[in-house]
Amino acid sequence: MSAVNIWEKMLNIDRRWIFLGIGVVSIVPFFINFGMPVRTTREVESIYDYVDELGSDNAIFISFDFAPGTSAENMPMAVAVMRHAFYNDIPVFMTANYPLHHGMMLAAMEYVFNPTTEGFYEDVDFEDWKDLREAGVTGKYELIEAWENQGNQLPEGALGWVFEGRDYAALGYAPVFNLVILGMTVSIETQYPVDAHGNSTGEMPMLQEHKSLREVDMALTSSGSGACVWWVTYAREKMGLPIAFGLTAVMATDYFPYLQAGQVIGQMGGLRGAAEYEVLLTENGITPSTDKAFRGMDVQSAAHILIILLIIMGNIAFFAGGFHKKTLLKGGR
Amino acid sequence: MYDIIGIWVGAFFTLAIYSFLYKENPIYRLAEHLVVGISAGYGMAITYQITVKPRLIDPLLSGDHWILLIPGILGLLYITRFIPRISWLSRYPIGFYMGTAMGVGFPLTMKANVLRQLEGAMVPLYQSGMAWYEVTGNIVMILGTLAALIYFFFSKPHKGLFFGTGSKIGIWVIMVGFGATFGFTVMGRISLLIGRIQYLLGDWLHLIE
Repeated sequence: MSAVNIWEKMLNIDRRWIFLGIGVVSIVPFFINFGMPVRTTREVESIYDYVDELGSDNAIFISFDFAPGTSAENMPMAVAVMRHAFYNDIPVFMTANYPLHHGMMLAAMEYVFNPTTEGFYEDVDFEDWKDLREAGVTGKYELIEAWENQGNQLPEGALGWVFEGRDYAALGYAPVFNLVILGMTVSIETQYPVDAHGNSTGEMPMLQEHKSLREVDMALTSSGSGACVWWVTYAREKMGLPIAFGLTAVMATDYFPYLQAGQVIGQMGGLRGAAEYEVLLTENGITPSTDKAFRGMDVQSAAHILIILLIIMGNIAFFAGGFHKKTLLKGGR
Repeated sequence: MYDIIGIWVGAFFTLAIYSFLYKENPIYRLAEHLVVGISAGYGMAITYQITVKPRLIDPLLSGDHWILLIPGILGLLYITRFIPRISWLSRYPIGFYMGTAMGVGFPLTMKANVLRQLEGAMVPLYQSGMAWYEVTGNIVMILGTLAALIYFFFSKPHKGLFFGTGSKIGIWVIMVGFGATFGFTVMGRISLLIGRIQYLLGDWLHLIE
Protein backbone atom coordinates (compact mmCIF):
# COMPACT_ATOMS: atom_id res chain seq x y z
CA MET A 1 0.00 0.00 0.00
CA SER A 2 1.54 3.33 -0.99
CA ALA A 3 1.84 6.25 1.42
CA VAL A 4 -0.65 8.27 -0.58
CA ASN A 5 -3.21 5.54 -0.17
CA ILE A 6 -2.93 5.64 3.61
CA TRP A 7 -3.59 9.40 3.60
CA GLU A 8 -6.39 8.92 1.12
CA LYS A 9 -7.94 6.25 3.33
CA MET A 10 -7.69 8.60 6.30
CA LEU A 11 -9.45 11.34 4.39
CA ASN A 12 -12.13 8.96 3.17
CA ILE A 13 -12.74 7.27 6.51
CA ASP A 14 -16.32 6.04 6.87
CA ARG A 15 -18.08 8.81 8.78
CA ARG A 16 -19.83 6.21 10.93
CA TRP A 17 -16.53 5.61 12.74
CA ILE A 18 -16.47 9.29 13.62
CA PHE A 19 -20.06 9.12 14.88
CA LEU A 20 -19.14 6.09 16.97
CA GLY A 21 -16.12 7.90 18.41
CA ILE A 22 -18.22 10.94 19.30
CA GLY A 23 -20.82 8.64 20.84
CA VAL A 24 -18.25 6.89 23.02
CA VAL A 25 -16.57 10.08 24.26
CA SER A 26 -20.00 11.54 24.94
CA ILE A 27 -21.04 8.66 27.18
CA VAL A 28 -17.85 7.79 29.09
CA PRO A 29 -17.50 11.13 31.00
CA PHE A 30 -20.93 10.60 32.55
CA PHE A 31 -19.47 7.60 34.38
CA ILE A 32 -15.91 8.86 34.91
CA ASN A 33 -16.04 12.37 36.31
CA PHE A 34 -13.06 14.40 35.08
CA GLY A 35 -14.15 17.44 37.07
CA MET A 36 -13.11 19.98 34.44
CA PRO A 37 -13.48 23.48 35.92
CA VAL A 38 -15.98 25.94 34.45
CA ARG A 39 -14.78 29.52 34.70
CA THR A 40 -17.44 32.18 34.57
CA THR A 41 -17.34 34.95 31.99
CA ARG A 42 -18.32 38.60 32.25
CA GLU A 43 -21.30 38.18 29.91
CA VAL A 44 -22.92 35.62 32.21
CA GLU A 45 -21.82 37.27 35.46
CA SER A 46 -23.51 40.49 34.43
CA ILE A 47 -26.88 38.70 34.13
CA TYR A 48 -26.34 36.98 37.46
CA ASP A 49 -25.35 40.23 39.19
CA TYR A 50 -28.32 42.05 37.72
CA VAL A 51 -30.83 39.42 38.89
CA ASP A 52 -29.11 39.16 42.26
CA GLU A 53 -29.72 42.85 42.92
CA LEU A 54 -33.48 42.43 42.50
CA GLY A 55 -35.98 41.50 45.18
CA SER A 56 -39.65 40.99 45.92
CA ASP A 57 -40.53 44.54 44.82
CA ASN A 58 -39.18 43.86 41.35
CA ALA A 59 -40.30 41.48 38.62
CA ILE A 60 -38.71 39.78 35.64
CA PHE A 61 -39.86 38.05 32.47
CA ILE A 62 -38.50 34.72 31.33
CA SER A 63 -39.48 34.09 27.75
CA PHE A 64 -39.33 30.49 26.57
CA ASP A 65 -38.52 31.14 22.93
CA PHE A 66 -37.25 27.69 22.05
CA ALA A 67 -38.59 24.36 20.83
CA PRO A 68 -37.73 20.84 22.07
CA GLY A 69 -34.95 20.66 19.46
CA THR A 70 -32.76 23.11 21.38
CA SER A 71 -34.07 22.50 24.89
CA ALA A 72 -30.80 20.79 25.87
CA GLU A 73 -29.18 24.21 25.65
CA ASN A 74 -32.00 26.64 26.34
CA MET A 75 -33.82 24.85 29.13
CA PRO A 76 -30.95 24.93 31.70
CA MET A 77 -30.55 28.69 31.18
CA ALA A 78 -34.21 29.41 31.78
CA VAL A 79 -34.34 27.03 34.74
CA ALA A 80 -31.22 28.56 36.32
CA VAL A 81 -32.58 32.11 36.13
CA MET A 82 -36.00 30.94 37.34
CA ARG A 83 -34.44 29.33 40.42
CA HIS A 84 -32.36 32.43 41.06
CA ALA A 85 -35.49 34.57 40.89
CA PHE A 86 -37.46 32.28 43.22
CA TYR A 87 -34.60 32.30 45.70
CA ASN A 88 -34.66 36.11 45.76
CA ASP A 89 -38.50 36.21 45.85
CA ILE A 90 -38.58 38.01 42.51
CA PRO A 91 -41.94 37.55 40.75
CA VAL A 92 -41.47 35.84 37.38
CA PHE A 93 -43.67 36.25 34.32
CA MET A 94 -43.26 33.36 31.89
CA THR A 95 -44.11 33.67 28.22
CA ALA A 96 -43.61 31.73 24.99
CA ASN A 97 -43.52 33.08 21.47
CA TYR A 98 -44.73 29.98 19.64
CA PRO A 99 -47.14 27.12 20.43
CA LEU A 100 -44.35 24.54 20.75
CA HIS A 101 -42.46 26.85 23.10
CA HIS A 102 -45.47 26.92 25.40
CA GLY A 103 -44.78 23.27 26.21
CA MET A 104 -41.20 24.15 27.11
CA MET A 105 -42.46 26.66 29.66
CA LEU A 106 -44.66 23.99 31.25
CA ALA A 107 -41.76 21.51 31.22
CA ALA A 108 -39.47 24.00 33.00
CA MET A 109 -42.07 24.55 35.71
CA GLU A 110 -42.57 20.82 36.08
CA TYR A 111 -38.82 20.38 36.56
CA VAL A 112 -38.37 23.18 39.10
CA PHE A 113 -41.47 22.13 41.10
CA ASN A 114 -40.75 18.40 40.95
CA PRO A 115 -39.87 16.94 44.39
CA THR A 116 -37.33 14.61 42.74
CA THR A 117 -35.32 17.63 41.54
CA GLU A 118 -32.61 18.57 44.01
CA GLY A 119 -33.44 21.99 45.42
CA PHE A 120 -37.01 22.10 44.14
CA TYR A 121 -39.61 24.71 45.01
CA GLU A 122 -43.02 23.79 46.40
CA ASP A 123 -45.69 25.17 44.11
CA VAL A 124 -49.02 26.43 45.44
CA ASP A 125 -51.73 26.66 42.78
CA PHE A 126 -53.63 29.90 42.32
CA GLU A 127 -56.90 28.36 43.48
CA ASP A 128 -55.34 26.78 46.58
CA TRP A 129 -54.62 30.11 48.30
CA LYS A 130 -57.78 31.85 47.13
CA ASP A 131 -59.08 32.32 50.70
CA LEU A 132 -55.90 34.09 51.79
CA ARG A 133 -55.95 36.26 48.69
CA GLU A 134 -59.53 37.24 49.31
CA ALA A 135 -58.59 38.05 52.90
CA GLY A 136 -56.03 40.51 51.52
CA VAL A 137 -52.96 38.45 52.39
CA THR A 138 -50.83 38.92 49.30
CA GLY A 139 -47.38 40.02 50.53
CA LYS A 140 -44.88 37.20 50.14
CA TYR A 141 -43.74 36.87 53.71
CA GLU A 142 -47.14 37.32 55.39
CA LEU A 143 -48.52 34.90 52.84
CA ILE A 144 -45.99 32.22 53.79
CA GLU A 145 -46.76 32.74 57.45
CA ALA A 146 -50.52 32.55 56.92
CA TRP A 147 -50.15 29.54 54.64
CA GLU A 148 -48.06 27.63 57.16
CA ASN A 149 -50.45 28.65 59.96
CA GLN A 150 -53.12 26.79 58.00
CA GLY A 151 -51.14 23.62 58.66
CA ASN A 152 -49.15 23.44 55.46
CA GLN A 153 -45.56 22.30 55.84
CA LEU A 154 -42.69 22.82 53.46
CA PRO A 155 -41.67 19.38 52.19
CA GLU A 156 -38.22 18.13 53.05
CA GLY A 157 -35.65 19.22 50.49
CA ALA A 158 -37.76 22.08 49.15
CA LEU A 159 -36.03 25.46 49.00
CA GLY A 160 -39.21 27.45 49.50
CA TRP A 161 -42.84 28.08 48.64
CA VAL A 162 -43.82 29.64 45.34
CA PHE A 163 -47.38 30.92 45.02
CA GLU A 164 -48.93 31.06 41.58
CA GLY A 165 -49.99 34.62 40.90
CA ARG A 166 -47.69 35.98 43.61
CA ASP A 167 -44.30 34.50 42.65
CA TYR A 168 -44.94 33.51 39.09
CA ALA A 169 -47.46 33.85 36.32
CA ALA A 170 -47.37 31.26 33.53
CA LEU A 171 -48.68 33.49 30.76
CA GLY A 172 -47.57 31.18 27.98
CA TYR A 173 -48.05 31.53 24.27
CA ALA A 174 -49.86 34.35 22.53
CA PRO A 175 -49.92 34.74 18.74
CA VAL A 176 -47.93 37.41 16.84
CA PHE A 177 -45.63 37.66 19.78
CA ASN A 178 -43.71 40.72 18.64
CA LEU A 179 -46.91 42.73 18.81
CA VAL A 180 -47.73 41.09 22.14
CA ILE A 181 -44.45 42.46 23.54
CA LEU A 182 -45.37 45.86 22.17
CA GLY A 183 -48.82 45.58 23.73
CA MET A 184 -47.36 44.59 27.09
CA THR A 185 -45.50 47.91 27.20
CA VAL A 186 -48.98 49.33 27.88
CA SER A 187 -50.72 46.49 29.73
CA ILE A 188 -49.80 42.88 30.41
CA GLU A 189 -53.38 42.01 31.36
CA THR A 190 -54.75 43.20 28.03
CA GLN A 191 -52.43 40.82 26.20
CA TYR A 192 -53.01 37.97 28.64
CA PRO A 193 -56.49 38.19 30.19
CA VAL A 194 -55.99 34.61 31.43
CA ASP A 195 -52.84 32.63 32.04
CA ALA A 196 -51.87 29.22 30.69
CA HIS A 197 -53.93 27.52 33.41
CA GLY A 198 -57.04 29.58 32.75
CA ASN A 199 -56.63 31.81 35.81
CA SER A 200 -57.70 35.42 35.52
CA THR A 201 -54.50 37.48 35.45
CA GLY A 202 -56.34 40.55 36.71
CA GLU A 203 -56.78 38.83 40.08
CA MET A 204 -53.08 38.06 40.43
CA PRO A 205 -51.26 40.24 42.98
CA MET A 206 -48.11 40.31 40.85
CA LEU A 207 -50.03 41.71 37.90
CA GLN A 208 -51.68 44.30 40.10
CA GLU A 209 -48.20 45.45 41.19
CA HIS A 210 -46.57 45.16 37.75
CA LYS A 211 -49.16 46.21 35.22
CA SER A 212 -46.94 46.65 32.19
CA LEU A 213 -43.40 46.08 31.00
CA ARG A 214 -42.64 49.57 32.28
CA GLU A 215 -43.00 48.17 35.81
CA VAL A 216 -40.82 45.15 35.11
CA ASP A 217 -37.06 45.10 35.64
CA MET A 218 -35.67 42.62 33.16
CA ALA A 219 -36.59 40.11 30.48
CA LEU A 220 -34.53 37.01 29.77
CA THR A 221 -35.23 35.47 26.41
CA SER A 222 -33.99 31.89 26.28
CA SER A 223 -34.09 31.57 22.56
CA GLY A 224 -33.39 29.10 19.82
CA SER A 225 -34.26 31.49 17.01
CA GLY A 226 -33.89 35.09 15.88
CA ALA A 227 -37.06 35.95 17.78
CA CYS A 228 -34.88 36.99 20.71
CA VAL A 229 -34.33 40.26 18.86
CA TRP A 230 -38.04 41.06 19.24
CA TRP A 231 -37.41 41.72 22.91
CA VAL A 232 -34.65 44.17 22.02
CA THR A 233 -36.68 45.81 19.27
CA TYR A 234 -40.05 46.09 20.95
CA ALA A 235 -39.18 46.31 24.64
CA ARG A 236 -35.62 47.58 24.93
CA GLU A 237 -35.83 50.20 22.20
CA LYS A 238 -39.44 51.14 22.91
CA MET A 239 -39.15 51.75 26.64
CA GLY A 240 -35.68 50.75 27.81
CA LEU A 241 -36.44 47.37 29.41
CA PRO A 242 -33.12 45.64 30.24
CA ILE A 243 -32.83 42.43 28.19
CA ALA A 244 -30.67 39.37 28.78
CA PHE A 245 -30.00 36.80 26.08
CA GLY A 246 -29.84 33.04 26.59
CA LEU A 247 -28.93 31.71 23.18
CA THR A 248 -27.98 28.45 21.54
CA ALA A 249 -24.28 28.18 20.81
CA VAL A 250 -24.95 28.29 17.06
CA MET A 251 -26.54 31.72 17.46
CA ALA A 252 -24.10 33.17 19.97
CA THR A 253 -21.62 34.82 17.62
CA ASP A 254 -24.38 36.50 15.62
CA TYR A 255 -25.72 38.26 18.70
CA PHE A 256 -22.51 39.54 20.28
CA PRO A 257 -23.00 42.88 18.47
CA TYR A 258 -26.07 43.50 20.66
CA LEU A 259 -23.89 42.98 23.69
CA GLN A 260 -21.18 45.22 22.26
CA ALA A 261 -23.74 47.96 21.56
CA GLY A 262 -25.04 47.74 25.13
CA GLN A 263 -28.51 46.65 24.04
CA VAL A 264 -28.43 43.58 26.26
CA ILE A 265 -27.06 43.31 29.78
CA GLY A 266 -25.50 39.92 29.19
CA GLN A 267 -25.55 36.77 27.13
CA MET A 268 -25.45 33.08 27.95
CA GLY A 269 -24.13 31.16 24.95
CA GLY A 270 -25.09 27.50 24.69
CA LEU A 271 -24.69 24.83 27.33
CA ARG A 272 -21.50 26.50 28.48
CA GLY A 273 -23.34 29.72 29.33
CA ALA A 274 -25.96 27.78 31.29
CA ALA A 275 -23.23 25.85 33.13
CA GLU A 276 -21.60 29.14 34.12
CA TYR A 277 -24.88 30.38 35.58
CA GLU A 278 -25.30 27.11 37.48
CA VAL A 279 -21.78 27.50 38.90
CA LEU A 280 -22.60 31.02 40.07
CA LEU A 281 -25.81 29.79 41.72
CA THR A 282 -24.01 27.02 43.56
CA GLU A 283 -21.01 29.11 44.58
CA ASN A 284 -23.37 31.65 46.12
CA GLY A 285 -25.45 29.06 47.96
CA ILE A 286 -28.58 29.59 45.89
CA THR A 287 -28.77 25.98 44.72
CA PRO A 288 -27.37 23.00 46.65
CA SER A 289 -25.54 21.70 43.59
CA THR A 290 -25.00 22.37 39.92
CA ASP A 291 -27.47 20.96 37.41
CA LYS A 292 -27.62 19.31 34.01
CA ALA A 293 -25.65 21.91 32.06
CA PHE A 294 -22.63 21.68 34.36
CA ARG A 295 -22.74 17.88 34.31
CA GLY A 296 -22.58 18.04 30.52
CA MET A 297 -19.42 20.13 30.42
CA ASP A 298 -17.02 17.19 30.89
CA VAL A 299 -18.66 15.53 27.90
CA GLN A 300 -18.43 18.77 25.96
CA SER A 301 -14.69 19.00 26.63
CA ALA A 302 -14.06 15.35 25.75
CA ALA A 303 -16.00 15.65 22.48
CA HIS A 304 -14.17 18.87 21.60
CA ILE A 305 -10.80 17.21 22.17
CA LEU A 306 -11.79 14.38 19.83
CA ILE A 307 -13.00 16.81 17.17
CA ILE A 308 -9.80 18.85 17.43
CA LEU A 309 -7.74 15.67 17.04
CA LEU A 310 -9.80 14.65 14.01
CA ILE A 311 -9.33 18.09 12.42
CA ILE A 312 -5.56 17.90 13.03
CA MET A 313 -5.39 14.36 11.62
CA GLY A 314 -7.42 15.39 8.60
CA ASN A 315 -5.10 18.30 7.90
CA ILE A 316 -2.01 16.14 8.32
CA ALA A 317 -3.44 13.62 5.88
CA PHE A 318 -4.41 16.38 3.46
CA PHE A 319 -0.97 17.98 3.36
CA ALA A 320 1.17 14.86 3.83
CA GLY A 321 -0.74 13.13 1.05
CA GLY A 322 -0.09 16.09 -1.23
CA PHE A 323 -3.76 16.82 -1.75
CA HIS A 324 -3.06 20.52 -1.40
CA LYS A 325 -1.41 20.44 -4.81
CA LYS A 326 -3.87 21.36 -7.49
CA THR A 327 -2.82 18.57 -9.86
CA LEU A 328 -3.66 15.95 -7.30
CA LEU A 329 -6.94 17.59 -6.43
CA LYS A 330 -7.92 17.40 -10.06
CA GLY A 331 -7.11 13.71 -10.01
CA GLY A 332 -10.60 12.84 -8.98
CA ARG A 333 -10.75 12.78 -5.17
CA MET B 1 -47.56 4.95 34.61
CA TYR B 2 -48.15 7.50 31.84
CA ASP B 3 -44.77 9.09 32.67
CA ILE B 4 -43.00 5.77 32.18
CA ILE B 5 -44.74 5.14 28.87
CA GLY B 6 -43.79 8.66 27.78
CA ILE B 7 -40.14 8.10 28.67
CA TRP B 8 -40.04 4.81 26.76
CA VAL B 9 -41.68 6.39 23.72
CA GLY B 10 -39.18 9.27 23.91
CA ALA B 11 -36.25 6.86 24.17
CA PHE B 12 -37.50 4.78 21.24
CA PHE B 13 -37.84 7.79 18.97
CA THR B 14 -34.49 9.23 20.08
CA LEU B 15 -32.82 5.97 19.04
CA ALA B 16 -34.92 5.88 15.88
CA ILE B 17 -33.65 9.32 14.85
CA TYR B 18 -30.05 8.43 15.69
CA SER B 19 -30.34 5.24 13.64
CA PHE B 20 -29.92 7.52 10.62
CA LEU B 21 -26.26 7.87 11.59
CA TYR B 22 -25.80 4.27 10.54
CA LYS B 23 -27.94 4.51 7.46
CA GLU B 24 -31.31 5.64 6.20
CA ASN B 25 -34.08 3.27 7.33
CA PRO B 26 -37.87 3.10 7.66
CA ILE B 27 -37.84 3.56 11.45
CA TYR B 28 -35.95 6.83 11.03
CA ARG B 29 -38.40 8.02 8.38
CA LEU B 30 -41.34 7.11 10.62
CA ALA B 31 -39.83 9.14 13.47
CA GLU B 32 -39.08 12.06 11.16
CA HIS B 33 -42.63 12.18 9.84
CA LEU B 34 -44.07 11.87 13.32
CA VAL B 35 -42.00 14.86 14.49
CA VAL B 36 -43.46 17.01 11.73
CA GLY B 37 -47.01 15.73 12.20
CA ILE B 38 -47.07 15.87 15.98
CA SER B 39 -45.47 19.34 16.04
CA ALA B 40 -48.16 20.64 13.69
CA GLY B 41 -50.94 18.90 15.64
CA TYR B 42 -49.63 20.07 18.99
CA GLY B 43 -49.30 23.60 17.66
CA MET B 44 -52.90 23.57 16.43
CA ALA B 45 -54.23 22.17 19.70
CA ILE B 46 -52.33 24.69 21.81
CA THR B 47 -53.37 27.55 19.53
CA TYR B 48 -57.01 26.54 19.79
CA GLN B 49 -56.93 25.86 23.51
CA ILE B 50 -55.12 28.97 24.71
CA THR B 51 -55.78 31.44 21.93
CA VAL B 52 -58.82 30.82 19.74
CA LYS B 53 -61.12 29.51 22.46
CA PRO B 54 -60.45 31.93 25.35
CA ARG B 55 -59.79 34.99 23.18
CA LEU B 56 -62.37 34.59 20.42
CA ILE B 57 -64.96 31.85 20.87
CA ASP B 58 -65.69 32.26 24.60
CA PRO B 59 -66.04 36.08 24.48
CA LEU B 60 -68.25 35.81 21.38
CA LEU B 61 -70.45 33.17 23.02
CA SER B 62 -70.80 35.34 26.09
CA GLY B 63 -72.41 37.90 23.77
CA ASP B 64 -70.47 40.92 24.99
CA HIS B 65 -67.67 41.27 22.49
CA TRP B 66 -69.18 41.42 19.01
CA ILE B 67 -66.27 43.57 17.87
CA LEU B 68 -64.22 40.35 17.85
CA LEU B 69 -66.20 39.25 14.80
CA ILE B 70 -64.06 41.57 12.67
CA PRO B 71 -60.67 39.96 13.46
CA GLY B 72 -62.41 36.56 13.55
CA ILE B 73 -63.76 36.91 10.02
CA LEU B 74 -60.49 38.45 8.84
CA GLY B 75 -58.66 35.43 10.21
CA LEU B 76 -61.06 33.00 8.58
CA LEU B 77 -60.35 34.61 5.22
CA TYR B 78 -56.91 32.94 5.35
CA ILE B 79 -58.69 29.62 4.77
CA THR B 80 -59.99 30.81 1.41
CA ARG B 81 -56.52 29.94 0.08
CA PHE B 82 -57.88 26.42 -0.28
CA ILE B 83 -60.81 27.48 -2.48
CA PRO B 84 -59.34 28.66 -5.79
CA ARG B 85 -62.43 30.65 -6.86
CA ILE B 86 -62.27 32.97 -3.84
CA SER B 87 -58.64 32.54 -2.85
CA TRP B 88 -58.05 36.23 -3.59
CA LEU B 89 -59.86 37.04 -0.34
CA SER B 90 -56.90 35.68 1.64
CA ARG B 91 -54.92 38.70 0.47
CA TYR B 92 -56.85 40.94 2.84
CA PRO B 93 -55.66 39.41 6.14
CA ILE B 94 -52.15 39.01 4.70
CA GLY B 95 -52.14 42.63 3.59
CA PHE B 96 -53.53 43.78 6.92
CA TYR B 97 -50.91 41.81 8.85
CA MET B 98 -48.01 42.90 6.65
CA GLY B 99 -49.06 46.52 6.75
CA THR B 100 -49.45 46.53 10.52
CA ALA B 101 -46.21 44.66 11.14
CA MET B 102 -44.30 46.92 8.76
CA GLY B 103 -45.73 50.10 10.22
CA VAL B 104 -45.13 49.07 13.81
CA GLY B 105 -41.85 47.32 13.26
CA PHE B 106 -39.96 49.50 10.82
CA PRO B 107 -38.90 52.42 13.03
CA LEU B 108 -38.03 50.20 16.02
CA THR B 109 -36.25 47.64 13.86
CA MET B 110 -34.15 50.37 12.23
CA LYS B 111 -33.30 51.69 15.66
CA ALA B 112 -32.43 48.30 17.18
CA ASN B 113 -30.60 46.73 14.27
CA VAL B 114 -29.01 49.64 12.43
CA LEU B 115 -28.72 52.84 14.44
CA ARG B 116 -27.77 51.21 17.75
CA GLN B 117 -25.27 48.97 15.97
CA LEU B 118 -23.68 52.00 14.32
CA GLU B 119 -23.56 53.68 17.70
CA GLY B 120 -21.95 50.58 19.18
CA ALA B 121 -19.21 50.69 16.55
CA MET B 122 -18.38 54.34 17.28
CA VAL B 123 -16.07 53.83 20.23
CA PRO B 124 -13.03 55.91 21.20
CA LEU B 125 -9.73 54.35 20.18
CA TYR B 126 -8.09 55.71 23.28
CA GLN B 127 -9.16 57.57 26.39
CA SER B 128 -7.18 58.23 29.52
CA GLY B 129 -7.73 55.50 32.05
CA MET B 130 -8.49 52.84 29.43
CA ALA B 131 -6.79 49.48 29.95
CA TRP B 132 -4.48 48.33 27.15
CA TYR B 133 -6.74 45.43 26.25
CA GLU B 134 -9.71 47.75 25.85
CA VAL B 135 -7.70 49.98 23.51
CA THR B 136 -6.53 46.94 21.51
CA GLY B 137 -10.08 45.57 21.41
CA ASN B 138 -11.49 48.85 20.13
CA ILE B 139 -8.79 49.19 17.45
CA VAL B 140 -9.34 45.60 16.27
CA MET B 141 -13.11 46.10 16.21
CA ILE B 142 -13.02 49.36 14.23
CA LEU B 143 -10.38 48.20 11.75
CA GLY B 144 -12.10 44.82 11.43
CA THR B 145 -15.47 46.43 10.74
CA LEU B 146 -13.97 48.75 8.12
CA ALA B 147 -11.99 45.93 6.46
CA ALA B 148 -15.07 43.68 6.27
CA LEU B 149 -17.08 46.54 4.76
CA ILE B 150 -14.32 47.19 2.19
CA TYR B 151 -14.46 43.52 1.19
CA PHE B 152 -18.16 43.91 0.36
CA PHE B 153 -17.60 47.12 -1.60
CA PHE B 154 -17.76 45.92 -5.20
CA SER B 155 -17.91 49.23 -7.08
CA LYS B 156 -14.12 49.50 -7.14
CA PRO B 157 -11.59 46.81 -8.07
CA HIS B 158 -9.92 45.31 -5.01
CA LYS B 159 -6.48 46.67 -5.89
CA GLY B 160 -4.04 49.09 -4.27
CA LEU B 161 -3.32 49.86 -0.66
CA PHE B 162 -6.82 50.85 0.46
CA PHE B 163 -9.14 48.51 -1.47
CA GLY B 164 -6.62 45.70 -2.11
CA THR B 165 -5.08 45.40 1.34
CA GLY B 166 -8.33 46.40 3.04
CA SER B 167 -10.31 43.64 1.33
CA LYS B 168 -7.59 41.05 2.12
CA ILE B 169 -7.75 42.00 5.79
CA GLY B 170 -11.54 41.90 5.43
CA ILE B 171 -11.38 38.28 4.23
CA TRP B 172 -9.30 37.34 7.26
CA VAL B 173 -11.70 39.10 9.60
CA ILE B 174 -14.64 37.30 8.03
CA MET B 175 -12.77 33.98 8.22
CA VAL B 176 -12.09 34.52 11.92
CA GLY B 177 -15.82 35.20 12.33
CA PHE B 178 -16.67 32.00 10.46
CA GLY B 179 -14.18 30.09 12.61
CA ALA B 180 -15.79 31.36 15.80
CA THR B 181 -19.23 30.50 14.44
CA PHE B 182 -18.05 27.02 13.46
CA GLY B 183 -16.62 26.47 16.93
CA PHE B 184 -19.86 27.56 18.55
CA THR B 185 -21.83 25.39 16.11
CA VAL B 186 -19.80 22.30 17.06
CA MET B 187 -20.39 23.15 20.71
CA GLY B 188 -24.11 23.55 20.05
CA ARG B 189 -24.47 20.23 18.24
CA ILE B 190 -22.56 18.39 20.94
CA SER B 191 -24.78 20.06 23.55
CA LEU B 192 -27.87 18.68 21.85
CA LEU B 193 -26.29 15.22 21.83
CA ILE B 194 -25.48 15.62 25.53
CA GLY B 195 -29.12 16.44 26.20
CA ARG B 196 -30.27 13.25 24.50
CA ILE B 197 -27.64 11.11 26.23
CA GLN B 198 -28.69 12.55 29.60
CA TYR B 199 -32.24 11.58 28.73
CA LEU B 200 -31.32 8.05 27.66
CA LEU B 201 -28.88 7.31 30.48
CA GLY B 202 -30.75 9.24 33.16
CA ASP B 203 -34.49 9.43 32.61
CA TRP B 204 -34.74 6.16 30.72
CA LEU B 205 -32.07 3.79 32.05
CA HIS B 206 -31.43 5.51 35.41
CA LEU B 207 -27.70 4.91 35.07
CA ILE B 208 -26.81 8.52 35.87
CA GLU B 209 -28.41 11.24 38.01
